[in-house]
Amino acid sequence: MRTTKTLGLVLLLVAVAVSGTAWAQQGPQFTISGTTYTKWLWGNSRDQGALYNFKDAPGEGYGDNGQGTEIELLLNAKVSKAVEVNARIHSRFYQNFWTNMGGWGQPSEDCSGSGTSVGCGEFDPRSNQYIKLRGVTVTLTPGYSWLDSATIGSSDWGMFDPYVVGRIRYIDRDNVQGLLFQGSAMDKALTWDAARISLPRLWAGPEYKTGNFHVADGAYVGQFKYSGGSTWDIGGLVQWVNDIEVDSRDINWDDGKDTRMRFRNTVFGAKVGIHPNATVDAKAAFYYSTYESASDLAPASFGMNGYSPVPAGKHDDWSGKLNLDFADLGGSGFGVNVEAFHIGAEYASAMAARRESDVLLTEGHDSTWALPGPGNATYGIWGGNPTVIGYGGWEGNAQQVATINVDNQFTDFNEPMAETAIGWRGITVTPTYQSGNLELAGEYTYLTYDTNWQAWGDDSRAITNSPFPAMDMQVGMASYRSAYAPFQDKTTHIALLKGKYVIETGKGIDLFGKIKLISETDKRLNDAKYLPYLPGDCATSGDLGCENQKNFYSTGNSTADFFNNPGVITGANGQVGYQWKPFNDVSDDDRDLSYVMIQAGAGYQWTRDLYGSLEYIYYDADLEDGNTAFQAYNMMEMASGKHQKNQLIAKFRYTLGGLSECGLVYEYNFGTFKPDYGDGFVPTTASEETASSVHVPVGSLGFFNRYGGWNTMEKREFDQQRLKAYLKILF
Amino acid sequence: MKRWLFPTFVLLAVALVAGTAFAQEVSFKDPTGDDKGPGAYVYPTDKVYKAGSFDLVEFKMKASGDKATFSVTLGSALEDPWGMGGGFATQMVFVFIDTDGKEGSGFTKGLPGLNVAFAPADAWDKCVILSPQPQNRVASEVETKAGWAKAAVLVPTRTRGAGRTISGTVSLKELGEGDPATWGYQVVVQSNEGFPDKADLLTRKVNEYEGQHRFGGGTDGDCDPHVMDILAGKGTGDAAEVEEQKKALAYECEADGAPKKTATLPMVRK
Repeated sequence: MRTTKTLGLVLLLVAVAVSGTAWAQQGPQFTISGTTYTKWLWGNSRDQGALYNFKDAPGEGYGDNGQGTEIELLLNAKVSKAVEVNARIHSRFYQNFWTNMGGWGQPSEDCSGSGTSVGCGEFDPRSNQYIKLRGVTVTLTPGYSWLDSATIGSSDWGMFDPYVVGRIRYIDRDNVQGLLFQGSAMDKALTWDAARISLPRLWAGPEYKTGNFHVADGAYVGQFKYSGGSTWDIGGLVQWVNDIEVDSRDINWDDGKDTRMRFRNTVFGAKVGIHPNATVDAKAAFYYSTYESASDLAPASFGMNGYSPVPAGKHDDWSGKLNLDFADLGGSGFGVNVEAFHIGAEYASAMAARRESDVLLTEGHDSTWALPGPGNATYGIWGGNPTVIGYGGWEGNAQQVATINVDNQFTDFNEPMAETAIGWRGITVTPTYQSGNLELAGEYTYLTYDTNWQAWGDDSRAITNSPFPAMDMQVGMASYRSAYAPFQDKTTHIALLKGKYVIETGKGIDLFGKIKLISETDKRLNDAKYLPYLPGDCATSGDLGCENQKNFYSTGNSTADFFNNPGVITGANGQVGYQWKPFNDVSDDDRDLSYVMIQAGAGYQWTRDLYGSLEYIYYDADLEDGNTAFQAYNMMEMASGKHQKNQLIAKFRYTLGGLSECGLVYEYNFGTFKPDYGDGFVPTTASEETASSVHVPVGSLGFFNRYGGWNTMEKREFDQQRLKAYLKILF
Repeated sequence: MKRWLFPTFVLLAVALVAGTAFAQEVSFKDPTGDDKGPGAYVYPTDKVYKAGSFDLVEFKMKASGDKATFSVTLGSALEDPWGMGGGFATQMVFVFIDTDGKEGSGFTKGLPGLNVAFAPADAWDKCVILSPQPQNRVASEVETKAGWAKAAVLVPTRTRGAGRTISGTVSLKELGEGDPATWGYQVVVQSNEGFPDKADLLTRKVNEYEGQHRFGGGTDGDCDPHVMDILAGKGTGDAAEVEEQKKALAYECEADGAPKKTATLPMVRK
């Protein structure tokens, strides 16, 4: 007995010793690292709603002034060869200004924290500087032949496709969670990914909602890729989004509660690449989407100007693109890329990339013109709707995304802007040339639109009963998230030439420049049957007035329901006339844009650690965007007229051992807008109340539109400055 | 013809011929499809790491006047998904050069993050780094993490990517004396990591299992070479050089993950 006990004890000790050795050899490793990011914003718009230049969701803040610091801690634990844990805890800038003294600032009177208010101090999570769990990921690598890894938790889902499930960032890159399984076969020539992503209830369903019962909503996605050596590859993927609700019609709860569909979305994708040699590269991709929403659980219509990441009702459509790249032809330094593309008007994937990818080759539009008004305001004809991003907009050119669910929130002016490419179809050709210190690149893009239709493409419905969310309407200089308009007949030509040259003196002077031309026409309403009233409805001489005899384009449907006739008023100079021009000609809403952008700049490495550049950009936009009959769909500021904008941009980048990123960007944006709203109406003058509300001079000329919004006819002069300095340290 | 046109034409022609005459080029090729390090490395799973994007196909060094231009051609068209501004984003290339060919002269230790060494006969004297990061960021990292080699590391003021080729120019004088045609070269293809491990020189790690932004097929320690492709053999691109690469990158680890035998890279010479 004693022998047995002794043997047992020895075995136990040996076991402990052996396991201890094993622990020492491959025991858990825990590391902690982090980053700290300090930002200093200054601008003469004097906004202080957040330490981000752009955030326009209701109840949220934005700003161009303030200083703040955030910190994130990155935790990593390798528990064993098969188990790894990553987590991130973070305090975000939001309204954590230094002036809050670490969250102990006095609450502002307006505790809503929206717009340019600073919120509620310690009692507002946006201001109290608390650190918060941002993402946790457990990665399992069990070593099975059929499974390479399983990931549970947060990811940016960048392993899929921007047309289907795109890389996602909201405020962080790990806000979206799910399950991810990845495997391979045939010596890794074949790889597969399968995921169940919990559907983000903030934006992944009709009207930016996923309903009341959100916790079971998910996106299921699977993809494979096969590489046939270095010369060709193929891939395919499928996504199914299921947004369900508890069925209120089920009154028997003893057997559980039934559920029913609120929104479903299926997307298929197929891709092929052929890479025969270093000179030629060819790729093709095709996507097909179907989706459907329940009309009693999600909007059945978006009226004239709704907001939603997907249209209402049931739709299907396709998207595709074909790319041919020729590099360094014959060793000449000359290359050319060609892309033909089609992104269907009704194509939608609820989880497509919202800003983190650029799905088309074209530069698209310039980000300084981001929103409809001449100064980048939306709904600027009413008080309380100033520009959020400022007259300067964002920097550079836009990147295109295959969704109307575009996200530019939580960004600063020096970051890229995303614009929707839904409905775009056309071709882009980009020749490039490089020789020594000279780099040249050009682009020509022809764009037509799958959204070119009349009365939303369906004569049987009223134009104020659209399944398509117009999201700001396609008016003015631009709207980054608007793909749909009730009437469209539009083509766009983009041409540009840009170059860089290094002068070999000192550390080398970088010269860079660009000239870009855009010509865009949109006939919009192009058939007289859609005019709101019968011909001659409004008298043009003698006793003015309108008979209001509606013109019906189909039974019971007339555009007069939206474009109603003006009243007769006495204008500023005593002249009697119409308050706005009666909509009696198909050319009243025509758009014609002639746009030129010229950029010139230089950069220099002043010291080993300091690089600086200075650039000047001039924009000249001659825009006809309908007259007072059209009045920018009654909702936005009219932008017809002559726009001249100037940007002077200075940038400095400083690097020292241990600093990963440190820099400063200063912009001086100045220019003019001289309105030209056509004739056929009599202007009036702005009262003190109007002047105060929409910030125009008392007594200045303008007119009230159908909805009572004020469009000024004064020449506007913009003079805005802004600065961002930042310091990021990894530790 | 105007009188000034002819002499101008002659002058330009002479300048062109002279430029060509004094230009000196060294080039090597590498087999395609060997972007697997010692044999089993695989790419990260994020879609920005395109097939072939770390596959070394050709290396050229062209000396002209007082400049030397290094060009590295890879197996897929370059892209800039991270907006680095230079036409490429995910790659980073180290060109190690043995300028004197003397055994024991130069460095046998590789740069931090690569986990490679060089034999005394192939010790490197200079290294040119082609990175999409700004020059001052790379130079600062070299000073912080490889201060012992900072005088030997050159970073072009501008590094560009176009088509499938990454290129950068440095001063020939800074590379040292001698005939570039007689120098030994080793080209190491790695990935640009903007948030590197504390000791790593902007390099991406290789783990046992690939991750979204981690190479796989190695070990979780630092005993494996964090290298996807190199020049091997005679640098002709012959298929046999795949095995030469595997031999050069062969490594062994201790039980605790420390290096037992570090991958030792050869210089390739004309």
